[in-house]
Amino acid sequence: MKLSHPELRSRLAAEYVLGTMHGAARRRFQTYLERDAALRAEVNQWQARLVPLIDVVTPIEPPRRVWQKIEARLFDANSTQTQASTVVSTPNAAKRGSASGLFTWLTSRAGLTFAASALCGMLAVLLLVRQLPPYDQPMRVAVLEDTSGARMVIEQNKPQLLEVRMVKPWKANTSSSFQLWILPPDGAPRSIGLINQDGSTKIEMKELEGLLEGGLAFAVTREAKGGSVTGQPTMPILCKGVIAKTPPREANRSANKPANTI
Amino acid sequence: MMKPTGPNAVAERGAELAQLLAQVALGNRAAFESLYAATKAKLFAVSLRIVRERHIAEEVLQDSFVKIWSHASDYAIEKSAPLTWMATIVRNRSLDIVRRPHIELADEDDALAALMVDDAPSALDQLAARRDEGQLARCMQALDGEQRKSIALAFFEGLSHSEVAEKVQRPLGTVKTQIRRGLLKLRGCLDGHVQRDIGAQA
Repeated sequence: MKLSHPELRSRLAAEYVLGTMHGAARRRFQTYLERDAALRAEVNQWQARLVPLIDVVTPIEPPRRVWQKIEARLFDANSTQTQASTVVSTPNAAKRGSASGLFTWLTSRAGLTFAASALCGMLAVLLLVRQLPPYDQPMRVAVLEDTSGARMVIEQNKPQLLEVRMVKPWKANTSSSFQLWILPPDGAPRSIGLINQDGSTKIEMKELEGLLEGGLAFAVTREAKGGSVTGQPTMPILCKGVIAKTPPREANRSANKPANTI
Repeated sequence: MMKPTGPNAVAERGAELAQLLAQVALGNRAAFESLYAATKAKLFAVSLRIVRERHIAEEVLQDSFVKIWSHASDYAIEKSAPLTWMATIVRNRSLDIVRRPHIELADEDDALAALMVDDAPSALDQLAARRDEGQLARCMQALDGEQRKSIALAFFEGLSHSEVAEKVQRPLGTVKTQIRRGLLKLRGCLDGHVQRDIGAQA
């Protein structure tokens, strides 16, 4: 199947969304989608066009057990296996472990500006921290920057809550997702989750502290819609910022508190 | 309680759902339950029309809401209406798991068959009845009858080209052409009213 002709691409995207593509053809098209951002954009456009048709579908009440099963899968402490894979907003996260080469790749692509921008980030962090009241000091804070300056501020004010505030949003793009990573001193970046393209994102997860532990900096990449399918960054870093931590005593004390979700 | 109608009501419902989704993104379980309550019947029906079997549609709904819980923070209102976003998840899951070499094969649910044919107005009739509501309905209405029917069968029932051909009793090639032309016409009609994207020219 050649996917070079624009009209063919659009037609296949339309038929994928419409629903005429089944089974093997559908799966084959999905493999194209994974590696073709323009094709994903085409699919997103068709979704926006066609899916509102559901407005005319007559609702049918599902049985009560569906909700019970959803609750059991997500919140039942006994089904921790599913909980671990679903509660956390980290699609495709932590799939691959042996990716130290990727960190090299990341740092090389992030390039030589890393140190310079890290320094700027530190200055910004110091300014920011100084303005915060002492009793409300975040556990971690970072200002993520690119060449044009600060893009977003990330704060961890609770052991299980990370807040991302966009300072200067990117242009909205329906075909991609922004994915937040934590960069450990060595080894592969770890996915924290997807963030909104503008406004703010709150990422709440039980395992947050463990995920962030030892991380030196946050970074954001623009990935395929839904996040990187490999569990590792596949695109260049858009912005990054080193993490300023509060004294370890405070952080450890907070981290050792029992899980306490909303 | 009467379902609110009209464009404003639709927008209001959308805004409510968007707020619920934002709360869900924060891990608010009460909001998640409200979101489920507000959308379950619509989304279940969307899936059931495609997968045909209730137990499969139930699984689709489960899987979809697990995904909605964990991906709620991905949702952005400027990109799509909340229900469109959720329905896309449900439709994708439904179409991914539909295993139907032949339309009649999985159609074992008499209740559903009856519901689709007799008890409830068909999607096509409803769409026709709503010709004054919304650009999409207008654009669907602008298609010729056979194009519209083929596209609606494919969309609502998730039928393949050959399944549509069998249902409308037309040659496969004819149906493929109808769907292709219908989609192009639909795109032209819809995109005539929004900013054109690169590659979206008909």
